[in-house]
Amino acid sequence: MSAKQYLKNQLPVILINLLGILALALFLLVNGNPVSVILFLAAVWLAVVIFCFIIFYFSRKSYLEQLLEMTEQLEERYLIPEVMAVPKRSDDQVFYQILKMTEKSMLEEIGEIQRERKEYKEYIEQWIHEVKTPITAMKLLCENNRSPLTRDMLAEMEQINRFTEQALYYARSEHTEKDYSIREIRLSGVVHDAIADNKYLLRQNNVSITVNNLEHTVYSDDKWLRFILNQIIGNSIKYRTEKPALSFFSTKKNDQILLSIEDNGMGIQKSDLSRIFEKGFTGQNGRIIQTSTGIGLYLCRRLCDKLGIGITAYSEGNGTTITLSFHINNFVNEVQD
Amino acid sequence: MKQKILMVEDDFTIRTQLINLLTGNGYEVYAVTDFSKTIEQIKSFAPHLVLLDIKLPGSSGFDICSQIRTFSAVPIVFVTSSNTDMDELNSIMLGGDAFITKPYNTAILLAKIASLLRRAYDSGQTEVLTWNGAALHLESSLIEYNGQKAELTKNELKILYYLFKNAGKICSRNDIIDFLWDNQLYVDDNALSVNITRIRDKLAAVGLRAFIKTKHRQGYTL
Repeated sequence: MSAKQYLKNQLPVILINLLGILALALFLLVNGNPVSVILFLAAVWLAVVIFCFIIFYFSRKSYLEQLLEMTEQLEERYLIPEVMAVPKRSDDQVFYQILKMTEKSMLEEIGEIQRERKEYKEYIEQWIHEVKTPITAMKLLCENNRSPLTRDMLAEMEQINRFTEQALYYARSEHTEKDYSIREIRLSGVVHDAIADNKYLLRQNNVSITVNNLEHTVYSDDKWLRFILNQIIGNSIKYRTEKPALSFFSTKKNDQILLSIEDNGMGIQKSDLSRIFEKGFTGQNGRIIQTSTGIGLYLCRRLCDKLGIGITAYSEGNGTTITLSFHINNFVNEVQD
Repeated sequence: MKQKILMVEDDFTIRTQLINLLTGNGYEVYAVTDFSKTIEQIKSFAPHLVLLDIKLPGSSGFDICSQIRTFSAVPIVFVTSSNTDMDELNSIMLGGDAFITKPYNTAILLAKIASLLRRAYDSGQTEVLTWNGAALHLESSLIEYNGQKAELTKNELKILYYLFKNAGKICSRNDIIDFLWDNQLYVDDNALSVNITRIRDKLAAVGLRAFIKTKHRQGYTL
């Protein structure tokens, strides 16, 4: 609150007081009082007025600044009427009432949107649940009737499955509720499962696979981890070059276990590398491969953040290495020992 | 004696295809079609293993599972398309032995069924396959003929295992590679040729010549 603006707002009061002083001076002058008395009275009046203004200004200023600070500290600012004291001044009370009404309509709006989003999430989950039945049926039909045609269909099926999983995890990642459970898992198990999920696609593209040193165990959620690996494998297939190769290996480094997925594909431009985990970012490769969505790695990053896994990408010229880093929880090990 | 599997699955296509798959792998299969009398059908069929969907018309798979547990300890495999933590936890709490999510890999499903059956009814199967006088020892990874033995690598053992299992039939190169991938051996076409050559050398060393025959453009056969 600036003093200048405050004085400007109080202009009528100031004018009335000045008019009052003027009227009093004239009255006293007409009644034959000495000028010194008149000046004295005018000075006293003026002093009282200025004094009042200073007092009012500072008390008002401190009240409003306190309110402002309180609002700024609130995370949900629209809830300010809940925490502020009911004002005593009548005009403030009107504003208080307005705030109350705004808050109420805001809360209704938020409630409505939250309900809609929850329903939409439930619908998506149910839809994915349902679409998996025909996918399973198709897979079984193809596997029971193996031929070059059904092999190609199985490869497409794996793509469909990966996309539906992506939608499922996207819907889940938007919500704060915890729907994963951390347990001890063998890296080899989850890597082999993820490869099996993409078996026909990998074979269709003649990707040669090497799996090394995966005897480490980590604490994580196997379904989520499998999803993350699936997205990474999907990317390696999408951005492959001649004679594609994919290698999985893990190493132990200080208090971390690193799982690396290395391919020999087209790689990632240095300038893009820092942004590939951003939502919707497709970069240089996205201009070459038109089907890039910028969702897969973004989701990987989100899920990794929730699980407490570090995810980094490395690429120099050809090929990309994605590394997942798991913390070794010494405490858990000690308790188990 | 064939081992009996009972299936509770409400989707028609999945049901018929699973019956094909399981009978093709040497099991006797019974599929529940009247879901109001599931328990009675389980009691009368007395299966060695139950494949159970969770979402079913009438009572859910969880209910059926806990009912089965009141009279039988038969292995129960939950097969479902919902992969939430709660469902998995529930299935284990109620006495399920395995939880497989759709769409599953048939190789993984078959492996799970086989391992559960082996654990529950140790049939004491000798881990030796024989064909035309040649014996394949799975435990020790050896091929034996007329008292002569040769050691096999992991890849070679699995390739021979597949050929022995399908002895007399033609095994396409693709099917063999599929089988190896299902066993987490990621060989490609060239590697398969190399492995076959090595196996033939080893077989020749123990006196087995022309044991694996090549069918042009079709694959291999014993």
